[in-house]
Amino acid sequence: MRLRSTAGDRLGAVNRGRRLGSLPFGVCCAVLTLWCVGGSAADTSVVPYARSRGIVTSLTRTELRDIFFARQTKWPNGDPIRVFVLPDRHPLHIRFSKEVLEVYPYQLRSTWDRILYSGTGVPPTVVNTPQEVRERAEETPGGIGYAEE
Amino acid sequence: MLSTTPRGIARVLGTVTGLLLIGLATPAHAIDLGFRDFQMHGFASQGYTYTSGNNFFGNSQDDGSLEFTELGLNVLGHPWPNLLVAVQGLYRDTGGSDDEGFRLDYANFDLSLPVHDNLTLGIRAGRVKNPFGLYNEARDVIWTRPSVLLPQSIYFDSLALREIELASDGGLLYGRFAFGDHALSAELVASDPRANASGATDFIVGFDSLGARGLEHAPGSLSGRLLLVGRAGYEWREGLVRLFFTAVDFDHDFESSSPTFPSGNAKVFAPLISAQLNLEQWSLTGEYLRIDTERSGFTIGGVPSENTSESYYLQAQYRFAPGWSALARYDALFLNIDDHDGSASARLSGFPRDRFFAKDLTFGLRWEFHEDWLVAAEYHNIDGTAWLSPIDNPGIFDFANPARVREVSDGHWDLFTLMFSYRF
Repeated sequence: MRLRSTAGDRLGAVNRGRRLGSLPFGVCCAVLTLWCVGGSAADTSVVPYARSRGIVTSLTRTELRDIFFARQTKWPNGDPIRVFVLPDRHPLHIRFSKEVLEVYPYQLRSTWDRILYSGTGVPPTVVNTPQEVRERAEETPGGIGYAEE
Repeated sequence: MLSTTPRGIARVLGTVTGLLLIGLATPAHAIDLGFRDFQMHGFASQGYTYTSGNNFFGNSQDDGSLEFTELGLNVLGHPWPNLLVAVQGLYRDTGGSDDEGFRLDYANFDLSLPVHDNLTLGIRAGRVKNPFGLYNEARDVIWTRPSVLLPQSIYFDSLALREIELASDGGLLYGRFAFGDHALSAELVASDPRANASGATDFIVGFDSLGARGLEHAPGSLSGRLLLVGRAGYEWREGLVRLFFTAVDFDHDFESSSPTFPSGNAKVFAPLISAQLNLEQWSLTGEYLRIDTERSGFTIGGVPSENTSESYYLQAQYRFAPGWSALARYDALFLNIDDHDGSASARLSGFPRDRFFAKDLTFGLRWEFHEDWLVAAEYHNIDGTAWLSPIDNPGIFDFANPARVREVSDGHWDLFTLMFSYRF
């Protein structure tokens, strides 16, 4: 299922795709063609993803950082948060880090490694495919990941 | 040339086979334990060290040394969202610089309490890693180190202070206050320092410099009030800029169990300033440490002694391609802040000047050739021998025979080190 995010309204960096919607159709096509030729998927947005749309659409960047840097471990209703991410070098992970969290992927990795090897936090679960991120985020109570739309 | 002794070959084969078996038998990532968010992670690192003079991590001259193994396994998770439970076991062999064996690295629970949207307070207890500078808490895992060897002027790996620096048995209070892109943090540990672990007592008492004949170690034990370690920090945009101030405060009495060795007191105060700038491709890091030591009772002639050492390094890391990074660092240690060239200390002791400082210029290259595999190599050009291990280099603390110190140590030396690591 696709998640039509309103999170983009609060997260300026993620609504690049939507801005295209207001451009003339021809310009849009030309730009998209160029992007496709270049092999880039930059015509899409990357958004936080969870089973309950209400949860992710209301999150601010600060809250998302707290969650993905493993500082916040509990949803407001008391449920535990479970975070699912792709491997560090996956293009979607890089885009989510830079466009949504506005950090470099190595900042996440260095924090996750530090908390893991010092016993001060639990890093997110790494899965292999974007499909798997969606599935695990949906199946797991309190799960959150990210997706391209 | 790698070591050609049967023991050396067996060690390499064993480690490589072990790494491959672990790599094949486990998934690429953590093992999900199926209970809440509980996970198991592990790592295996094998290093090789070659030195042109002096020994570092075993007998590293001639064919080099393979006595540089770090293995770890940890389990951690939240039984309840705000309660973390974490345990890590570690096997470590670094020649004479470590006890070579399994140990509990950390075993703590952590209760965090979000007080307000911007403020979190928490308590951690058990065996906790000391919040000391930028790299101490996870320093035995190459994945969190910038280089194969951390700057030895601050993160002593070959001196007995290591164990006290590393972790403590006690409790830690912490807080974090965030506003926008800014975050302030504070941690305070009060603990029973592991001052009686592996030679630390000798080091604190200054046993080697006392020339106590007929004794192998300082006879007796240290006791006293809790060790305090505090760290305050500021971070901008999740660590693009990181500034920390750490202070360590230690005050223990040594009670001798031998009539030939006096009792006394040792006080240590150590402030450390840390700064790091993280750009997309570059990271620039610097740390500056002083250690003030005051000893009384067991000093030569019973006169109280006071000393301040000075340590600092500047480091640049360059991430020039995915998985690749290069490092350059200048690291310096002066055992006496007022005697940088060691000449005054040399006159008093009869030791060569270079025993009292170490200036290390390092160049390194690191390649994470697969997500969970890395190889790193580095070259150190070192002037001075101040951080050499007395166990790997017998005689370098021989105050009874200073002429021998000159024979057994080499003031200008090169060190090359290579490390492979796998983790899940």
